[in-house]
Amino acid sequence: MYKYPTWKYILVLLVLGYAVIYSLPNFYMTYPSIEVTTFDKKKVDSLDLQKLSKDNDISNIGIDNNNLFFNSIDEQLSAYNKLIKTSSYQYTLSNYNHIPKWLSAINANPVSLGLDLKGGVHFLLQIDSDNVKKSRFNQLENNLRNFFIDNGIQYNSFFTDADKVTFKFNKDTMDTEVLNTLNENFSDYIITSIKSDDSFNINATLSPDSFQNDIRASMKKNLAILRSRVNELGVSQPIIQQQGKNRIIVQLPGLQDSTRAKSILGSTATLEFRLTKGSQDDWSQSEAIGTNTISESLLYRHKNGSPVLLSRNVIASGKDIEGANSGFDGQTNQPAVFVNLSSYGASNMLDTTSKNIGNRMAVVFVEQDKNQVINIATIREAFSKRFQITGLDLQEAKDLAILLRSGSLSAPMTIVEERTVGPSLGSANIVSGRDSMLLGMILVILFMFIYYKKFGFIANIALIFNILIITATLALFQATLTLSGIAGIVLTVGMAVDANVLIYERIREEILNGNSPNASIISGYNKAFSTISDANITTLIAAIALLTIGTGVVKGFAVTLVIGILSSMFTAIVGTRALVSIIYENKNNKGLSI
Amino acid sequence: MFRIVKELDIKFMEIKKIPLIISTVLLLVSLLSISIKGFNFGIDFSSGYIVQLKFDNQVTALEVQDELSRNNINDSTVQLYGSSKEILIKLKDEEIFKKKNINNYLNEIFKESNFEITKLEYVGAQVGSELREKGEWAMLIALFSILIYVALRFELIYGLGAISALIHDVVITLGFFSFFNLTFDLSVLAAVLAVIGYSLNDSIVVFDRIRENNIILRKLSIFAVLNKSINQTLSRTLVTSFTTMLVVISLLLFGGSAVENFSIAMLIGILIGTYSSIFIASASLSYFGIKRPEEN
Repeated sequence: MYKYPTWKYILVLLVLGYAVIYSLPNFYMTYPSIEVTTFDKKKVDSLDLQKLSKDNDISNIGIDNNNLFFNSIDEQLSAYNKLIKTSSYQYTLSNYNHIPKWLSAINANPVSLGLDLKGGVHFLLQIDSDNVKKSRFNQLENNLRNFFIDNGIQYNSFFTDADKVTFKFNKDTMDTEVLNTLNENFSDYIITSIKSDDSFNINATLSPDSFQNDIRASMKKNLAILRSRVNELGVSQPIIQQQGKNRIIVQLPGLQDSTRAKSILGSTATLEFRLTKGSQDDWSQSEAIGTNTISESLLYRHKNGSPVLLSRNVIASGKDIEGANSGFDGQTNQPAVFVNLSSYGASNMLDTTSKNIGNRMAVVFVEQDKNQVINIATIREAFSKRFQITGLDLQEAKDLAILLRSGSLSAPMTIVEERTVGPSLGSANIVSGRDSMLLGMILVILFMFIYYKKFGFIANIALIFNILIITATLALFQATLTLSGIAGIVLTVGMAVDANVLIYERIREEILNGNSPNASIISGYNKAFSTISDANITTLIAAIALLTIGTGVVKGFAVTLVIGILSSMFTAIVGTRALVSIIYENKNNKGLSI
Repeated sequence: MFRIVKELDIKFMEIKKIPLIISTVLLLVSLLSISIKGFNFGIDFSSGYIVQLKFDNQVTALEVQDELSRNNINDSTVQLYGSSKEILIKLKDEEIFKKKNINNYLNEIFKESNFEITKLEYVGAQVGSELREKGEWAMLIALFSILIYVALRFELIYGLGAISALIHDVVITLGFFSFFNLTFDLSVLAAVLAVIGYSLNDSIVVFDRIRENNIILRKLSIFAVLNKSINQTLSRTLVTSFTTMLVVISLLLFGGSAVENFSIAMLIGILIGTYSSIFIASASLSYFGIKRPEEN
């Protein structure tokens, strides 16, 4: 029998070594854990961790490297809920495993699991382009108005609609010179003029390019803001990335409740500080008659439902806030947000408060079209940079501090897709994925062994080898394994034996045609080769088409299918061939066990 | 040697009218069902919410539905899911969810019972139609690139044969989903695309043999070549379908509800694909007018 080349044996050994080493980390236990750090992300001493665990009656089974780890997700979550009530450290839900250092050193890590397997929340947020346009038009309207006033040009009226800002003039107000200066000053915009018998209109609109730039800038800012908000939610390894021109994907593994994440991520909330106007009587009277009895005032509503009149002037707002923390009021022990103003905001605040001692100031919670007064307090003394806001519950105070710290979104973002999987469902999915895979493999292995005997055994070794290659490759490229990915692997198990079946059926035919065992092996492998590659390349084309759809379920399936096809081709054509050669080469075989 | 199929000489070409009739009927029923009844699209393609709730106490679907409609959620489908404590709710993207966070609203509605939201999926209208569009494109691109590959690697006629078997398999699988009102979501689309790959794999193996025999067996008629090739590859076709079927069935039994529709689509697709690669793909070559090499 013709000698199988040595380099192919070496290749098989190399691939085998790669598959074993890089799938090894998956065999170490992974424990649900809570990572404990100080608020500035510094390490916590393990003695302190022990104390923390003892003080709060936490049922962790061990402590290592900043992590308290647990037997089950339920224990992890109940401990987490106990711990977040204490505010001494920052807590992050995480996973912990005892992988030896040498494995981590060569970048061998366990396969990362998708949200459907470990539980968590996936959001797709889309920027409100209309809002970006609207605010740009508002700005344009203001600038144009200022331009006309500065240049002493009288306009009759102006309005803004969905795609332009229009100013109306008397017919003879405008001349070419003014139009030229206008065009020079507003070169970013498209300015057109329409002359009719009795009037002269100027339309200004955005060029598509400059609108796209606006969207791009808003996206960049929102991405940064979402990052800082997500960092405050206490999940490990979150994913925040832009998708396309106007969307952002946010994935929060391990998060059990999407309610809070939803309200924090999409929130455009900010604060405004205004002086109150008039007395309680004025407020209720204004509400009763429907017009404000005090001039230069606006009617607001307090959180408790009662009406309030506030000054038109804003003393400071969200953009003047530099820092915010939640905590408790030193005297009343009520939840509070401690706010730090920027120097501009602080000087404004000092100015207003020193002139208004004894008067009252309101804190307004502003969210899109919903404004609400959360607190009214009498100014007892002048203050500037630092002060506190009460009138919220603990959770509200915490969330508001996060929103103030991260800054306000430059345009609202709406959730256009959400997928939440609870942690218990996630682990149930792992179990069902594993069980169906094991059952499928056992059935196939039994069948192959019964049907093809020794050759079936060789195909089975190749099959197991295959699973290792897929696992190792997923782990090495940090591809995410989802439930549909497991389905892809299960399918690969069924199809991986196909290449072997093709070869073995050919060998059988050769034997039935009266060829010698050794010649049958060689021509079986040779003749099946082109069939195998044609068949697999066409399947590969379909799998790559799947990859281009590129969304969760389908992508997860396609990734494992592509890896599976490639590795099953390798194991069948090169791998089993090497084994067959070891068993049958240089022997005078009387018959084959096939 | 243990063999499912012994040396066979089934005259496939002589009986090709029978599968032709069967397939025509199946195709007609499928196309009619798809065009009249359409699909029961999952939220991936139709947009809306799917919420899975796990209660501490036993509940009935009717109770939950009543409670929802009392709270102005009228367009809901509610079903028990797995146990009598778990409920699956399908909701349309209603106005009310723009004002109220759905999690909070559900907590409000069922505040008297203890429950947790084990799963919540939401797909907005725009995303839904985009996913559908992308899915259609992926299917077309897959079919087209396969046609090109097969045409280059073999001859155009084989490409046409492979594509007709493929369209046959895809239409009947889709027809099955439409006819039995099964939920059509992204995972089913993935299965259909996998079926494309699988069915093709089968056709290619037979075609490969036809091409080979067409050169070696000079004395035989083209029908005899087609017959012989199908017979020679028959045991491989059956063995591979059988092993794939084994794993798909174990996926259906143990994979859980999340891969149920996927497994059903795969199962149907593989059955149809196996049938078509034996009875339809090669027969279609004869309809397209395949010739002996010397006649070309």
